[in-house]
Amino acid sequence: MERPVRSICIVGGGTAGWLTAAIIAARHSVGSGQGLEITLVESETIGIIGVGEGTWPTMRSTLKKVGISETDFFRECNASFKHGAKFARWVTGQASDFYYHPLMLPEGFPSFDLAPYWMKASEAEQTIPSFSNAVCFQEAVCELGLAPKLITTPEYAGVVNYAYHLDAGRFAAFLRDHCVKKLGVCHVVDDVTEVVKGDSGDIEAVQTRKSGRLEGDLFIDASGFRSLLLGETMGVPFVDRSDVLFIDRALAIQVPYDDQQSDIVPYTVSTAQKHGWIWDIGLQSRRGVGYVYSSNHTTDEAALTELRTYVGDRHRDVQPRQIKIACGHRQTFWKGNCVAVGLAGGFLEPLEASALVLIELSADLISTMLPATRETMDIVARRYNQTTQYRWDRIIDFLKLHYILSQRTDSKFWIDNRDPASIPESLQEQMALWRHRAPGDQDFSSNCEMFPAASYQYVLFGMGVRTNIHHQGLHRDENGAKRAFAQNETLKARWTRALPKNRDLIDKIKALGLQKI
Amino acid sequence: MRLVELSRSEHGHLRICADRVEAGAARQHLIPIVVAEFRKAAIQYPIVFAKHPDTGRFAPYVLSGLELEENLFWSGTALDVAYVPLNVRRQPFYVGFDDGPDAAGANVLCIDLDHPSLDSSATRTIVNADGSDSAYLKEILAILGELVAGKTATEQFLATVLSLDLLAPIMLDIVLDDGTPLQVQGLYGLDEEKFRQLEPAETTRLWQAGYLDLLYAVMIATGQIFNLVRLKNQRIALSRAWQGRAS
Repeated sequence: MERPVRSICIVGGGTAGWLTAAIIAARHSVGSGQGLEITLVESETIGIIGVGEGTWPTMRSTLKKVGISETDFFRECNASFKHGAKFARWVTGQASDFYYHPLMLPEGFPSFDLAPYWMKASEAEQTIPSFSNAVCFQEAVCELGLAPKLITTPEYAGVVNYAYHLDAGRFAAFLRDHCVKKLGVCHVVDDVTEVVKGDSGDIEAVQTRKSGRLEGDLFIDASGFRSLLLGETMGVPFVDRSDVLFIDRALAIQVPYDDQQSDIVPYTVSTAQKHGWIWDIGLQSRRGVGYVYSSNHTTDEAALTELRTYVGDRHRDVQPRQIKIACGHRQTFWKGNCVAVGLAGGFLEPLEASALVLIELSADLISTMLPATRETMDIVARRYNQTTQYRWDRIIDFLKLHYILSQRTDSKFWIDNRDPASIPESLQEQMALWRHRAPGDQDFSSNCEMFPAASYQYVLFGMGVRTNIHHQGLHRDENGAKRAFAQNETLKARWTRALPKNRDLIDKIKALGLQKI
Repeated sequence: MRLVELSRSEHGHLRICADRVEAGAARQHLIPIVVAEFRKAAIQYPIVFAKHPDTGRFAPYVLSGLELEENLFWSGTALDVAYVPLNVRRQPFYVGFDDGPDAAGANVLCIDLDHPSLDSSATRTIVNADGSDSAYLKEILAILGELVAGKTATEQFLATVLSLDLLAPIMLDIVLDDGTPLQVQGLYGLDEEKFRQLEPAETTRLWQAGYLDLLYAVMIATGQIFNLVRLKNQRIALSRAWQGRAS
């Protein structure tokens, strides 16, 4: 007899658990004997890590899909707008060294690729604008501290593509309320004391301290670094990727603003340091700052000094929190009737804000592929693992790209990062091709790609790579290019005048709300 | 525009030229109205909804042009219409809000000292010889009173309409007689499909609140768009003919 999948038990109440619950519940009708039953058990005693504070633009469609109003999100989650990331001191390490990875695509991309024309212009003269500034207007908007939309722009729509910065703790609580009140998710606050495995090797139930035995047909491990279900119970080993990405420590600190009117920087700033880099994320009421570094290359004390120098003497009383991180992921993400999301599945340094987006994508995949019966679950698990592994590999490639293009020689950390032995073969192959032409969609053929080719262009050319454009004659439509560059300048002039300051728009949204249409 | 609070003593000498009141609307393609005007407006203009650029809040407007700063009803001397909206008739007077610490948002009567209708040789006065309000000013005060009262009623109507998701963006995609494509953006109208799918209980509530009449007025007024297109084509033909003669 077939065993239908009727109930899902999620273990862990951080962003991973609640976001997954919301995404699955919004798709599969829940409650009163109809559709799936979803239970989330959240520990009373274990807090959440909550350093995932930067999102991708995907979060807009995710929130919309689960039925959340963007106005409420801004009111409840200390959230702010994010245009992308500014990378400072990654190339030469000098104070003037920076480039942007904006979220909007270059003008005309992908049907018209401006890269060879920009390359040609930069060969002719040294003073042309940076790649990102020449092909899109988001960098100009960032440098002026402007928001990505107007008060008249509907919820979740943008003048330019945008993502968010958010307070992970408040976000988890906000999602919890929504899941429980609107989506019919059953919430159990209790500690899991034991995970009960059946003869088949599947998880039968989790035993809790006060609420008894919680059964489920599918278990989702959102227990954080501990990986209680997939790692500890199912015995799936951890695959260490620190041979590629060296960072294994984080020092996180919350920095208050000078006053309530201080500008909110509308992009993530990532400033390279001697043995890693510092993230700087502007929320409504504070900044979240943290130094991620390699303990093989420096000491905790030296790292703390670097962080203190960055945040300034005025904030010397704020105590940072140290987090030990292991770069890598589980060997498989779904085994038997257990699938891991968030930190329980793995961790990568937050250089391109991949934590929350991976949760969204994982939950989406679980939700859309959800097996109707236990008998079909193994097929789904195999496909899920394949896709998820591919995604992790692509993120690892993209993160490593930032390191191999650096010219810094001020520490062994940066020199070691360029050791070919530490560079994945897939990335080495791409780099071999990109010596001769710019990254394009043809280099990314899977339907589960993480970063568009444009992102590779922004990083490559932002970090000083120049491809040899002359062999293949990829720059023959000079007039088309001229029109596209001019169009970008027109848009830049229009929107740098029309867009409001980031804080002003956020304040206005909180007071007046955005329209749904 | 130079808005100041009206002072009967300080501004007592001002004269207003009735013929030039409507000139203020010569370059307005959207004129705000209140719900009490919907039936009268519907005989002349399309009624649309648009967001205020500073607040994002919706308000109803009559559409009087198909491009920014175009009023197709402006003849050069007057609005050639059967109904002139209150927000035109009140010119050059405004209702301002006193946001001083004591007044707490009280309404104050203001005048635009730059308005084209101010003319020292004109006949209309603000105050009588004895210093009392003139019949003309009393008429203006009545209009402004209607607008103030109408503001709340209009906001309530819109809140109901939005809560039922009855508004949707309208995209006017027009090809003029001379082949010029014309797109008008940023306008919202009634989502008639959603309106027809309302539960009977909701329709009853709309009827009881008097909103059903308003929604039908909006629906019927959409046909006025054909009149705007006709006026636009006439205007282009006229300007072509003039240029033809000139060259």
